[in-house]
This record gives sequence, structure tokens and C-alpha cells, in this order.
Amino acid sequence: MSEIDEKEYRQVCNFIYLECQLADEARWEEWEELLAADMNYWVPINGQEADPNWDVSIINDNRSRLATRIRQLRTGTRHSQAPISVIRRMVSNIVIHEDDDGMVIAEGNFVAHEYQNQSTMMMNIWPGRVRYRLRRVNGSYEIVQKRVDLVMATGKLPTLAFII
Amino acid sequence: MRDTTTPDIGSLIKDETIHSSLYTDRDIFELECEKIFEGNWVYVAHESELPRNGDYLRRTMGTTPILVTKSAKGIHVVVNRCTHRGNLLCPAPRGRQKAFGCKYHGWVFGPDGELVDIPFPDGSENLDKSKLGLRAARVESYRGFIFASLNHDVDDLITYLGNARQALDRASDLSPVGEIQLSKTWVQHSFKANWKMISENEADGYHVNFVHDSFGKAITPEGKYDNVLKEDEEGIGSVSRYLGNGHTEIDYEVSYGAPMKWLGVKEDRYPEYTAAMKERYGEQEANTIMRKGPPHTFIFPNLFLAETCFVVIQPISVNESINWHTPLYLKGVPDKLNQRILRQGEPAMGPSAFLTADDAVIAERQWGALDGDPGWLDLSRGADREVQKDNGVLQSHYTDETSNRGFWNHYKSVFQ
Repeated sequence: MSEIDEKEYRQVCNFIYLECQLADEARWEEWEELLAADMNYWVPINGQEADPNWDVSIINDNRSRLATRIRQLRTGTRHSQAPISVIRRMVSNIVIHEDDDGMVIAEGNFVAHEYQNQSTMMMNIWPGRVRYRLRRVNGSYEIVQKRVDLVMATGKLPTLAFII
Repeated sequence: MRDTTTPDIGSLIKDETIHSSLYTDRDIFELECEKIFEGNWVYVAHESELPRNGDYLRRTMGTTPILVTKSAKGIHVVVNRCTHRGNLLCPAPRGRQKAFGCKYHGWVFGPDGELVDIPFPDGSENLDKSKLGLRAARVESYRGFIFASLNHDVDDLITYLGNARQALDRASDLSPVGEIQLSKTWVQHSFKANWKMISENEADGYHVNFVHDSFGKAITPEGKYDNVLKEDEEGIGSVSRYLGNGHTEIDYEVSYGAPMKWLGVKEDRYPEYTAAMKERYGEQEANTIMRKGPPHTFIFPNLFLAETCFVVIQPISVNESINWHTPLYLKGVPDKLNQRILRQGEPAMGPSAFLTADDAVIAERQWGALDGDPGWLDLSRGADREVQKDNGVLQSHYTDETSNRGFWNHYKSVFQ
């Protein structure tokens, strides 16, 4: 584990802000371009104790399953995202280091505000902690893992059909 | 002011139509809690969740908080509310302890609900502790599935399950030791809709091509999806059934042409498993079990065996329900097989699922559209082509409303 410099800290933050904006705005094609081929998108239930091979997760997608998720969103008949939710999220308290495999690990707190405009017409608030595992490629990054620990993951959750 | 007269449920359910107030009327919801969730058998837990004496689970029967406990005397189901001042006795979702002390004034109850201790006893010496135990339910289990009834004067569980008993066998028999296994983690998906919209939907084949259109377009349909995602109804071979006592099912057996097709693998994928199954059941029976696959069966009022998922429906209020799910693991099988069960069920159920996310939004739209503008709803589809099979089971085309009509006929009988 090692520190990263100021310049790279800024680069990683900009990458994360872009990722959040593309997810908020349902720009899935551009969003998918940020992903590594061996990517894992994981939203566990029981935080630090979670064993992804025994404990059921809210989402545990490999790249292929995530591609299916995006294809489904693009059909126009994904009722839980038709129309798509209006979303804005904020990420802060970002800490970044490099792990022993040379991967960049970035973590922060986030809150997404979702206007659920498909059925309940309610404002859903999704707070949590997000952790990215990033591989350096061509002067930028690709996402090897995006892990999202929701504050209310162990309790009841409304429908979460957008990319959190 | 709310109307305090008791709704006449019988007048709201006809042979092929039902009145929408059954989903939206607050008084009817309260009656359901009393007559359905406190009046007859309700699924509460599986024995694999309580391996040791002292283990307990916090659950609900309708809106009533309960504890499922295990002691040397057996499994107990007691109301999780102190008999002194009504405090929630045990707030933890699960754990292991020999007795339950109330955090309000220190009353202590045993796992069977007996009031065993009151602190500062001098001031309570005239109290008859034998009358102040926790309310206990009648408890029976079948193949490890524990059911409870707060009304002790009901038929035995086997009679209640009737034809649906075969679904519990079908799930359990997939294990070479004859038992399913549940883990500790559950996803809770909140629907802003009435619990019956979930319960009825479990064996409703008609909605699949419409609510799940986007799923069909996003995948290459194989196996059961290839059988039911169709442009024309003649090509669909899977069937809808009404099993009696409110229990319903869809049977995908016809779409599983070979052993293990239900899990999307070839039959030689897990040789240790196949060998263990043949050892227990004999070659022919084992092949039949492994070909038929798991059930897709709803057991009234709150249990849904959803193939590789295990689902429990919890009513919260007239317009909120929680769909709980966890993998339907098998005991005595290779870890890899259970991992495949997990991976197959995970994207089907829950708030981010390829399937139930869309069911939830449709149920919420349906509830919102019915509230405040009640009317009659049609459930006649397939009434002229359903056929009666053995033991009174009604069977019809996958898209027919045979299961819905059966559900409502039973529901009506509960209030008569």
C-alpha cells in the first residue's frame, strides 16, 4: 500500500465525478466505456461480513451480467426505469491509495437523490459508501470493481433499478 | 371519519370478478390480519435457520411481531411483546440466548413464552405469573418448513398444505440428504402495494410476456424462458395450477428436458452431486427429481418457493408489503452447486432484479390507480378451458387466471 501524489488524486477524483455524472444522466454507453472487461459491480447487504459466494447480494454483476442489465435498461420497456429516474448524486470524503497489486483504491461517502417518477413519485435518498478499484490504462483508469455499501442495506429497500 | 361497519367480503368476490376495494380498503386489511395472519397457518421459518438449542429468529405473522425459538422441548413461536407494558421484547433479528429479558422493567420470559422472573418481587407478590406468559402459537413443521397459527383450533398442517405439500417435497428432494438450507442474509424489497398483489402475481403466467418484456429482449432465452416468452400462446407448454386452500403454482417441468436443465447446466456438471442423488433415490427416481427441478409454488398466505429463491411476503399496511428473499440452498451438495443457485436467483429477485423490480413498479401503479376509484376487476381468463386433475387440482394454460380465481375463492372462504 502506498500514497499517491496530488496530481493523481485530482485525476482520480475527476474520473469518479465523471462516472457519477454518466450514471446520473443514464448515459450508459459512455458509462460502459469506463469499465474493465473483468469488472465486478457489487452492492452487498451485510457490509464487512459479506461473503459474496454465500450471502445474497442486492447486486453482484460480473461484466457480462452488467451488460445484460444495461441492455435491459435500453429496451424502453424496463418499467422500473421507464421513464428513467431523475438522479443527482454527490461524492465526498474521498481517500485514495495504491494497493500492493498496483491498483488505485478510491473510497468516499455518497448520497444519491432519486426522484422515482415511475410509480410512487417519491424522492428516494440513497446514502452510502462507495469503493472503486481502478486499473491505470492509457493515462486514465478503468473500473475493476465498484462496490456500494448502502446505509440501509440490511433493511427494506424500494426498487433500485438505476445504476447506483 | 372512517366507516366502522365490517366490510362484507363475500359480496366483493364473484366467480370471475373481484372488487378492487379488496386491495385498498384499510378495514379489510385489518380484518385480513385477524382472519388470515392470526387465524390460520402462516409460514414463519425453516429449521435450518435454528440449528442449536437457544437459537431464535425475530419474525412477523402479518403485522404481529413474533419470536421463533428453539429449546430442548422443541420449536416455539411466541408473540414478541412483553405482557407487562407491551415493549418489543427482543429487538435483534436473530441470536442465541436461553431467556428474554425486557429492557423496560426487567420481566424475563423463557423460550416457550413462560414468565419466569419479575424483578423486585415483593411489590408483585399477588401477581399470577402463570397468566402472564407470552401468547404462544400452535407450531407444526413439514420437511423443516415451520408454520405457526395463533388460532389453535385449526386443521393440522398436513391437511392445510394439501396438494402443496408436494412442492415442499420437490424442493427438499433436490438435496441428497432431503433438506434445504437457508443462510442468514435476506434482501428486503419494499412494494408500495397491497400484499395480495405480490401473492397473486407469484403464479400469474399471464403477466410474464408484458411486465418482463425487457428481460426477454435483453437475454437469449433458454430453457423455461424459451418456453414461455412467446408471441403466440400455442407454443407455451408450461401450466398454471390451483392446488386448493389458496395455494397456487406454475409448473415449468415441461421446459426442463434433461436433468439439471433447471440450473442451466449439463447433467454431468456436478458428478459428486449426481452420484449422491442416485445413491439416495436410485437411478431412475434421481433422474426424475433432477429433471423436474424446483417448484414455482405459492403457499397461502406468505410463502413462495421461487425455484432457486426462497421468498416470504410480509404485509406492512394496506399499501406496503415487503418481499423477502434468500437463496434456496440444498444441504449436502458441492459448494459450487449452491453458488450457482445463488448466482441464478440473485438477479431474479429484489430491488435491483431483472424481474421483480418491474413487478414492483407495476404493482405500485396498479395500487395507485385503484385507490380512491374502486371498481370491478376481471379474472375470467381460461375459465372455460381449465381442467380438473387428481385431488381436485385445477390446471390450465400458463397464461390463464386459474390460480387467481382459486386464490380468491379460498380468500372468500376464510371470511365466511
